[in-house]
Amino acid sequence: MKKIKVLRLVAFLVFAGFLAGGCVGNTGSGTQSAAAPTSAVEKKDANVYKGKVAGVSNKAKSISMVVGKDLVMVKFDDDTKGMDHAKKGEAAIVHFEVRGADKFATVVKPKLAKLPAGVTEIQSEEMIGLVALGPEKGGFFLVDSRPAGRFAAGHVPSSVSIPVGAMVAKGAELLPADKDTLLVFHCGGPT
Amino acid sequence: MSSKSAGLAKKLGYTNVKIYLQGVPGWKKAGQSVVASDAFIQKGNIILVDLRSEKESAAGHIARTVNIPYDELEDYLDDFDSKAPVVIYGDNAKGARKELAQAGIKGVSLIDGGLQGYQARGGKLVSGEPATEIEWVRKLGKGEVSSEEFLVVAEEGSATQVVLDVRGAEETVGGTFSNVITIPLDNLEARMAELPKDKEMLVHCTTGARAEMAHTVLKKAGFKSRFLVGDLSCEGGDCTVE
Repeated sequence: MKKIKVLRLVAFLVFAGFLAGGCVGNTGSGTQSAAAPTSAVEKKDANVYKGKVAGVSNKAKSISMVVGKDLVMVKFDDDTKGMDHAKKGEAAIVHFEVRGADKFATVVKPKLAKLPAGVTEIQSEEMIGLVALGPEKGGFFLVDSRPAGRFAAGHVPSSVSIPVGAMVAKGAELLPADKDTLLVFHCGGPT
Repeated sequence: MSSKSAGLAKKLGYTNVKIYLQGVPGWKKAGQSVVASDAFIQKGNIILVDLRSEKESAAGHIARTVNIPYDELEDYLDDFDSKAPVVIYGDNAKGARKELAQAGIKGVSLIDGGLQGYQARGGKLVSGEPATEIEWVRKLGKGEVSSEEFLVVAEEGSATQVVLDVRGAEETVGGTFSNVITIPLDNLEARMAELPKDKEMLVHCTTGARAEMAHTVLKKAGFKSRFLVGDLSCEGGDCTVE
């Protein structure tokens, strides 16, 4: 029965990640808690926030982020590096320093997804080649993991919409019967 | 999220699982087009553009189409709302997508297989003169208040609602609305005791970015609020919203 427990844990982690929205992914190995409370994060390393960017205001020079279950705010200034990575809806790692009552971001880095064991990466060039061949000739099954609404608005030709929630609920039914088919998963970005 | 799904597929016994980490943004960056679903083309809140000639378009186009012949596209670029999802079809759709992207209109999709593909999947066409003017109204997002509703409360007051201005002190010099509480976003958490628990707060700044952040903070703290997205300008004590 151990297997069922593991699957449940994975399902929970996926769901927790799903709540974070978009394309946010942790390790996928199921060992890291996606819903770690902020207090624990702060104990571990008081000057780093990891989470989804909820908003960026250039006028107030402030970034708001969802870290675990909390919403936090960090100020930024002209010395803050990597502000390109502070984009609303995307996962980021923000290093900051405390100055008086405020926290100031020093560096913003994208929070990149790690590949699960046994899964390899595919680049744009190879993707373009495959899509040009089509799923039959190319022998592939292309899965778009984003929410259905975003798929509807615009997706890679020949891709199939299987949002993460659907994948958790009935993955095997939605994927091809032949387990050796090349499956290519993608979503809304590298994070 | 793709890594989660790929991990699940691996656990289900699939032997050949890959991830395209760059995802849809990477695909577009590589110069490739995305396609919209047929249901979205029929029902979505989109700008649907037929790039063919007037004559071809009148003979048969998808309902709700705006006909903008490709060689006239340049004249219409200012009419596109950069927030609007756009679906284009007709010859030159790929070229038009690039032209639109250069003009800052990035949410552009094509039709899978073009108009022929659409018809082959059972998509219907209508004949007659298509529209020639772009008319698109943004739908309010979650937690947003319309500028009409906002202005009534801001100017005339309300027993159940109040406007919360989260701009900085130096920005409110030009003026504020009459029925308003002003607390800069930076001080919001420290000054929550000043906020009414029994009224819905309609939050504004100058664009909507800080207002949305404040809305999120207020919601978490158990207050009722919505936020305004729109360009605000104040002069001589009076504010207007665009």
